Amino acid sequence: MELEAAKLLGAGLAAGLGMIGPGIGLGLIGAYMLQGISRNPDARGPMFTNMILMAGLTEAAAIYALIIAILLIFVA
Amino acid sequence: MAKKKGCLGCSLPVAIILVVVVLAVIIMGALAGPLGRAFGVEGLPSWMSLHTPHPKLPADTIFHIFNFPVTNTLIATWLTIVVLVGLFWAAFRKPGMVPGRLQAGLEAILSWIYDLCTSTAGEKDGRRFFPFITTIFLFIIVSAWLALLPGFQTILVHGADGEAELIRSANTDLSTTLALSLITFFTVEFIGFKRLGLGYLKKFFVFSGVVSGVKMLFTKGQQGKAPLELVSGLMTAFAGFLELISELVRILSLSFRLFGNMLAGEILLMMMAFLVPYLIPLPFYGLELLVGFIQALVFGSLAIVYISLAVKPHEEH
Repeated sequence: MELEAAKLLGAGLAAGLGMIGPGIGLGLIGAYMLQGISRNPDARGPMFTNMILMAGLTEAAAIYALIIAILLIFVA
Repeated sequence: MAKKKGCLGCSLPVAIILVVVVLAVIIMGALAGPLGRAFGVEGLPSWMSLHTPHPKLPADTIFHIFNFPVTNTLIATWLTIVVLVGLFWAAFRKPGMVPGRLQAGLEAILSWIYDLCTSTAGEKDGRRFFPFITTIFLFIIVSAWLALLPGFQTILVHGADGEAELIRSANTDLSTTLALSLITFFTVEFIGFKRLGLGYLKKFFVFSGVVSGVKMLFTKGQQGKAPLELVSGLMTAFAGFLELISELVRILSLSFRLFGNMLAGEILLMMMAFLVPYLIPLPFYGLELLVGFIQALVFGSLAIVYISLAVKPHEEH
């Protein structure tokens, strides 16, 4: 395999496989926030703030995979 | 309530014309881009054809001051500082008991961050570390939102090495985010040492279990219990070592999170503007507003959480 092709393949695999986990995580966060709101609708405000925070943290894991992909394409 | 006729607040023919115009703009934009090239559309006017974007990782050097390279992200950092200082100077130059519109808005933002700090770190510590958290939060959010303005990444100048953009979003440079996370790291460690003295190190180096295990090994009558105590002591020591590692990894995770989000946002906007040039990129600008706010919130709240963890004395197990 040529070097360039290997780089692109690796970048695609890194981004694609790396998104699986955070995707599941974001789904879980949304699901449990909806569950929480439907149980206690008054707590929507603080729950939403915390959900945004947790979503940001979870998303960061996907961003790490994306950084590896970007590094593979531009730097390696 | 007056009932509106038609849809979208217009009469029906106007709405139809509006939808047709919007669709035509989007389709023309898409045809001028790579989609049209793929379908072999020819003969479009030259001003509609697009250059393929080239996302860049390192920031370009614009000029040098005494051999110190000044990059385009550094210029954006200065711009952020100027905007922040100007905004707060305009609002709080003559603070009034009855605040003006700008002062009231900024006071609302500050009191929101203040509530965030005090709810995490308690009344006293939250008040003490509020300025630090606010500085980080406001710097990140202003630099992220400034980068959505026209002028960023569009003005080309002759830099130190070839053509370069004059201004580029401050946090798409790893140096800026690394500086922010190093400042946070050293602040956290400094506060920990200042508050707890050398006892702060007890969090990382836990050898009391090992020592008591070794003592038991040489005490008569307790030698049966010694291996268990030794093993649990070693495990506690290892947990302390892991704590030390995770303390150091914070630098990387904080800086890479911010850098990755900002760079990904920049590349996303670039790519959407390339694929479908008109109207479609607009929702993504909204998304970037949200991302800038979330990243500022995440960085700020993680900093206050780290600080409140550092000042808390370590309990003996």
